[in-house]
Amino acid sequence: MNAVISARNLTKKYGKQIAIDGIDFEIPAGRIVGLIGPNGSGKTTTLKAALGLIPFDGELRVMGLDPRTQRDALMQDVCFIADVAILPRWLKVRDAVDFVAGIHPRFDRSRAERYIANTRLKPEMKVKQMSKGMIVQLHLALVMAIDAKLLVLDEPTLGLDILYRKQFYQNLLEDYFDENKTIVITTHQVEEVEHILTDLMFIRDGKIVLAASMDEVGERYVEVMVPADKVNAANALQPIDQRTVFGKSVMLFDGVSRAQLSALGETRNPSVADLFVATMKGTYA
Amino acid sequence: MNTMKWLLRREFWEHKGGFVWAPLIAAAIMVVLVAGVVGYGVSSGKFQGDSITVRVGGEEVHRTQTAADLLTGHSRTEVASVAANNYIAIGAPIFIVLPVVAFFYCLAALYDDRRDRSILFWKSLPISDGATVVSKLLTALVLAPVITIGIASAAAFLILMIAGVAVSAQGVNLFGPVLGNLSLYLSPVYLLAMIPVYVLWALPTVGWLLLVSSWAKSKVFLWAVGVPLIAAVLLKWMDYMLALYGTTINADWIINNVLEAALFGLVPGTWFMDGGTALPINNGQGVNMLSVLGASWGSLARPELWVGAAAGVAMILGAIRLRRWRDEG
Repeated sequence: MNAVISARNLTKKYGKQIAIDGIDFEIPAGRIVGLIGPNGSGKTTTLKAALGLIPFDGELRVMGLDPRTQRDALMQDVCFIADVAILPRWLKVRDAVDFVAGIHPRFDRSRAERYIANTRLKPEMKVKQMSKGMIVQLHLALVMAIDAKLLVLDEPTLGLDILYRKQFYQNLLEDYFDENKTIVITTHQVEEVEHILTDLMFIRDGKIVLAASMDEVGERYVEVMVPADKVNAANALQPIDQRTVFGKSVMLFDGVSRAQLSALGETRNPSVADLFVATMKGTYA
Repeated sequence: MNTMKWLLRREFWEHKGGFVWAPLIAAAIMVVLVAGVVGYGVSSGKFQGDSITVRVGGEEVHRTQTAADLLTGHSRTEVASVAANNYIAIGAPIFIVLPVVAFFYCLAALYDDRRDRSILFWKSLPISDGATVVSKLLTALVLAPVITIGIASAAAFLILMIAGVAVSAQGVNLFGPVLGNLSLYLSPVYLLAMIPVYVLWALPTVGWLLLVSSWAKSKVFLWAVGVPLIAAVLLKWMDYMLALYGTTINADWIINNVLEAALFGLVPGTWFMDGGTALPINNGQGVNMLSVLGASWGSLARPELWVGAAAGVAMILGAIRLRRWRDEG
């Protein structure tokens, strides 16, 4: 059992609408996977299925358990932040820590308190008195103190300002992640997570269109700045995307050798955002 | 077990206002009003020489013409005994707060966290949906009544003591015989011993409210009250139509036994109000708490209680299942 999540022909329909269209994937332990897709592509549905929040068809194992029937056991080892700022408004910081400490066998109280001490949260403060960023800080303090094997983050920083966002991912990487943990993140702010991801999964219309490690992505995809006189030669290699910057064509190639491309112009690794845009072309058309 | 303790604590944090402050404020108002009246009466000498009437639940149980009557030993003990046995009835208004608070608590219990999406936080913790729903059930049916009994008994006791001060202003000291009467201390215990009976009678209502709370996408109150109301109207109408053919579906029976059980079960002592169990009243002594307790437990012999409780449990299981699978988008 080295796959933390493994899906085989995972399908979810809402009436006639197909949200997840028979996907297969495996997420091994010790990875940080970015599940990235446009709105309505099925990424949140996939996570909800893995967390046992919705029924589904096909096979899905999370830590070897079926989330439909073994959710209670599963939640001992899995934690998630499903949405921004969803803590109940009446909850006090002190009570929140007491509560999670009381019910979660893997909660490290001193860790949560240490983290809270570094914020402007006060023990007597209620959630309704907090800014959105502070609520996320409290939520993260609670979740990071849980020694879960799998952490699922669905748009964890949506609507937060850049200071909170940066701090969020920094804390996650420095204080939380280790080789025994697995993190799955969905987000629209691709630029902010790409440097922490080890794996990338693009999902579109309920199908997985790309699943690769960041290393593989770096080998497969190359971006080339092509001067005007070599555009025809470059086009012959079938770029998957191209745009024009300062009169030069920037072309994105999939699976063309770097040596061959460097003859055409300056090569570099594409950003995940550029790769995403190229892959998702025509989604909303 | 430990999880349940924290779940109950969680409910207490969220609903302290309804379950503690509401009855406490009602009790405080009662005590202050009585103290004010008595204080005014004593200070202005209004009690001097007036006749004293002892009433329990509006029923006159004892009247004296002059204070001197009370000085006779027998009469004095008798009054003290009535007081010690019945003082708890003074707390009745506080028990009216309970069903109202518990009704709205149950309606909100599985709905509010879906509305503000904080259900996703609770579901991210290792708490089963069954344990969550049971914690709400225990809060409404055990925790809330225990708190109410505590507050009502304390308020009733305080008012009794204030009355004692009023009587002593006439030169009659009832403190000794009242405080020495065992019933004074047993009455709250009798009330606590009625909780199991209360739980069983309240199950259909709590089950119905939790089911609606777990199911409705919005407007929980409208669903919870509207459905039985419309059902009642429809039943009446069908009965009216069927009467033309000389038959009946017994609409009144269904309304009285099914629909009322779904809405009014949280009222303490419903088993006395529907006429199924007689309230034991012995004249002259008011209501004896021990016989009320006995009659309450006697209501367990009524089959409709068990049918209702079973229906309540079924609806609670439905609520748990709905909470497990409801997709909160």
